[in-house]
Amino acid sequence: MASNEIDEDLVRRLAALLEETGLSEIEYGTDAWRVRVVKQRAEVMVPVQNTGTATAEPGAAPSAGPDQAAEPGAITSPMVGTVYLAPEPGAPPFVKAGDHVDQGQTLLLIEAMKTFNEIRAPHAGEVAELLVQDKMPVEYGDVLLILR
Amino acid sequence: MPSLPAGHRLVAMGTVTSSNDEAKRLAFDGAPDGTVVWAEAQSAGRGRRGRDWVSPPGNLYLSLLLRPGCDPKTAPQLGFAAALAVAEALEPWVAGDVPITLKWPNDVLLDGAKVGGILLESAMGASKAAIEWLVVGIGINLVSHPDGASYGATSVAASREGPPLDAGQMLSAVVERFAAWRARWVGEGFAPVRGAWLDRAHRLGREIELRGPEGPISGRFAGIDDDGALVLDRADGQRLSLSLGEVAASGG
Repeated sequence: MASNEIDEDLVRRLAALLEETGLSEIEYGTDAWRVRVVKQRAEVMVPVQNTGTATAEPGAAPSAGPDQAAEPGAITSPMVGTVYLAPEPGAPPFVKAGDHVDQGQTLLLIEAMKTFNEIRAPHAGEVAELLVQDKMPVEYGDVLLILR
Repeated sequence: MPSLPAGHRLVAMGTVTSSNDEAKRLAFDGAPDGTVVWAEAQSAGRGRRGRDWVSPPGNLYLSLLLRPGCDPKTAPQLGFAAALAVAEALEPWVAGDVPITLKWPNDVLLDGAKVGGILLESAMGASKAAIEWLVVGIGINLVSHPDGASYGATSVAASREGPPLDAGQMLSAVVERFAAWRARWVGEGFAPVRGAWLDRAHRLGREIELRGPEGPISGRFAGIDDDGALVLDRADGQRLSLSLGEVAASGG
């Protein structure tokens, strides 16, 4: 493999292997080159800067693609954080798919650094789809749910 | 009644479920920035995600209602400011050789054991850009602390001689120190808060373990970044900035 060329197929295969095995990272290569694929598990990952190392970060399988963010009624995450679907562990969830919600009703919580932010319905509607699970990490802009 | 800095209004209550619950209720009713809820005791004091905060009379339970107009990403920075405020308010009451340190993101430790906890709650309104309100809940073990907690707990009384501390006096000091740090945060950003927080950081430069959403990650605690995220240096040379998870309780 030429040093400056990215073997996309290899990276893809490693990324697939990452998902399949549940590992957080795989490093693979020879004396001449190495590639490391890291499953992003936090806000930022700064890769090691070794000459000749190609680093690819496919990220944890995103909950929703950009297409869904453009969808009408998509409620996106305003922050990096952990999603909580219920006010307390063991309590019933704030909402579930099919629920009708009023404007201002709490839909879920997103926590970062012990700050719990209530995401509330910007308008009344029906929860068409819930795209996140309890305790799931989310990135800025990830679609949380669709409210129609 | 304790005195408060200008721009604050005290709502003193008896036993409530939690001072944060009361402050949130006031927030929904339109109470202004600077509303301070002071509870004598809490029947359902809360820590993070279902953890109790044992709340008998004699300790301090307060919640500050703020309308900082910031985005949700920056709101946690005020939690660091609150932890600093608590540390500084405690300082005159604690013997000089007993260290007051801060555990990421905002636990206050006295001699390595937890003396104060902070829980922030906020809500997004119709605007996607800014939070509508932020409640900074603060609990300080002044005269008593729970035994057998999963983490080491202590109280101010356990660490000093002399008469028990007055909760009202401590309330004034915490609110005053927080107002000062908040003013600096508004004027100068997170940098001074970050610097002062790092000066008191628990286990800075040492090995810690963060229990993240996808399992524990350990490394050397290198500091906090411009957003307040924990910076860990891994054994393999990677440097990570992590904003999710909790630092595991550890000695020293």
